[in-house]
Amino acid sequence: MSERVKDLHKLAVTEQPSRRNILAWGGLLSATAATLPLFGGQAFAAGKLVALVHTQAAGDNGPIDDMIAHLKALGKQDHFPIRTIYASDPSTYQSILSTLAGAGAAVIVTTFNEMADPIKAVAPGYPGTKFIQLYADPFKPVIPNVRTVEYQAHYGMFLAGIFGAGVSQSHRLGYIGGMSLPGLNADLNAMKAGADSVSHTVTVKGAFAGSFQDPTKGREIANQLFSTGIDFIQTDGAATDAGVIRAAGEGSNRIVSAVFRTQFKLGPKTVASSVLVNFGQSLTDQVSAAVSGKFMAGHYVSTLADGIIDFVPSDLFMQNGPPAYVHAAKAAWPAVNAAKAAIIAGTLKVPFNTQL
Amino acid sequence: MMDLIVAVLRTGTPMIYVAMAGVLAQRAGVWNLGLEGLMITGACASAVIAEQTGSVALGLLGAVGFCVLLSALLWLVIEKLKANPIIAGLGLTGLGLGGTDFGIQAVYGSEGAVTAPAGIPTLGPAFGPFGVLDALVLAMPVMVFGVWFACRRTRFGLRLTASGEHPFAARSVGADPARMRLIALLLGGVLAGLGGAELSLGGLDIFSVGMTAGRGFMAFSAVIFGAGHPVGATFAALFFALVEFLGIKAQLVFGEHAPRDFVLMLPYIATVLGIWISARLRGGALLSAIEMRDG
Repeated sequence: MSERVKDLHKLAVTEQPSRRNILAWGGLLSATAATLPLFGGQAFAAGKLVALVHTQAAGDNGPIDDMIAHLKALGKQDHFPIRTIYASDPSTYQSILSTLAGAGAAVIVTTFNEMADPIKAVAPGYPGTKFIQLYADPFKPVIPNVRTVEYQAHYGMFLAGIFGAGVSQSHRLGYIGGMSLPGLNADLNAMKAGADSVSHTVTVKGAFAGSFQDPTKGREIANQLFSTGIDFIQTDGAATDAGVIRAAGEGSNRIVSAVFRTQFKLGPKTVASSVLVNFGQSLTDQVSAAVSGKFMAGHYVSTLADGIIDFVPSDLFMQNGPPAYVHAAKAAWPAVNAAKAAIIAGTLKVPFNTQL
Repeated sequence: MMDLIVAVLRTGTPMIYVAMAGVLAQRAGVWNLGLEGLMITGACASAVIAEQTGSVALGLLGAVGFCVLLSALLWLVIEKLKANPIIAGLGLTGLGLGGTDFGIQAVYGSEGAVTAPAGIPTLGPAFGPFGVLDALVLAMPVMVFGVWFACRRTRFGLRLTASGEHPFAARSVGADPARMRLIALLLGGVLAGLGGAELSLGGLDIFSVGMTAGRGFMAFSAVIFGAGHPVGATFAALFFALVEFLGIKAQLVFGEHAPRDFVLMLPYIATVLGIWISARLRGGALLSAIEMRDG
């Protein structure tokens, strides 16, 4: 290699930024980009920012969409800025919470049990920020600025079991959950208990898709369940449910019970009912209390009694469903209402059994 | 048995279209790890455009258009900006997953799912259990044959393969490897767009964020499993679909008696085993192929 070429080569090497520099600048830019959405003029200016950090993607026609819609409406009504942040990576939970709290957020709402440890780690360091965890177990000891909310959804599933046992012509019911988690296991067991309370001959077959965002797999599981003679399926899988409802539309005598009212329109002839967990209303109640100075630390249990949990029929189905099933649905409803009244009165208990 | 065939075809077809995109890219010398991003883009674009215009055909065209654009971007980054193809592919996947989420918010002002007014036309109830199969499922064998024919029986295919395996040799006969890669990626964009559209409009008629659930990566695995051969990759994708079907069946049959999490893992264990057995059977051929194309 000639001296001229060597010089050019040396110049090129020295002029180029080192790999370490590139990595350092890249890391800095990435960190800045990742935290930018957490900030905004309003967050600092108003000092009353309410943030929702959701660990399940939106677009589920269910709990997350409902929470976001209610938070937007509440922010507009009470004139406070809001932020909604999808936290898909558990390793970022803690940093997202501390960044929001450090930016002066007044209230941070989080979803589901996986947020428990990050809240326990962050909340004590930011006493001026109120943390609300929806779908949570109680904290022991109680942290003064943390509110945890539990939903006894399994009572709704118990009612679904009673309803399904009355509606099904084959006396064979199905259940499709997103993932085999303690709460969903309890839902399946409660549905079995509800069906069993109507007739010991009614069977419930449960399956899990392994994801809350896989409608394709939901469809395949539902088709396999329907092909075994099951004619009533209770869904419990967020966005996966859309596939279950589509599968019901691909054949006759296929009835679905959903987990949200917005799912009724996906199957006017097949979605007969819904277990409701009114996450949006629950968020509104908790955030309203927090921003109006009525925040109470500790644990709160939502039940059928406060209307956050419910089991409701679909009017669309009652008008468009197969006549035999509509007739059976109407006939089954008094038993559902009787069980609901007994649960609210405290005379009927449904065990929260997480063992499958 | 009919149920099994129908389920495997419906589950496997989106992966096969996307795997063919991977086969073309691999033959041109690009390990396309952006297939997941292309697939979700195709799924999103087809559903959004079908919902906005009421036309499934326009939805399909839109899916193809977006995926071709993204493929051109990938080529630009790899060829002109000299980025590592694997890192660039992963970036494309991130762009697709994040971009579709952003796009839904931009179009609808919320993060809600998109429900299309209709899906890709199906055979209909007159065909019994096969009635749910749609036009893209039926066209799939023709498409696979087309890719095989183009790769193995045409001058274009020979030049494409030469560009991937021995770029210097390709240049010596007048082929331009960079141009061949561009053509391969653009054609792959067309196929990946159709695969994504099949996922969202093939019976579900809905798009929700993250709905590919790793199927683009499974399509990439099918390319490896099938040794970059169109027919091999097709059977690999069908094998994955069969394993998924059997996984669901196992859960329904053994779910009461075996740990559910283990039963849910079975398809993935079978996939890893399948790839390992495939690599063992082919011996060093696969390894050398990997070394050459990643070089």
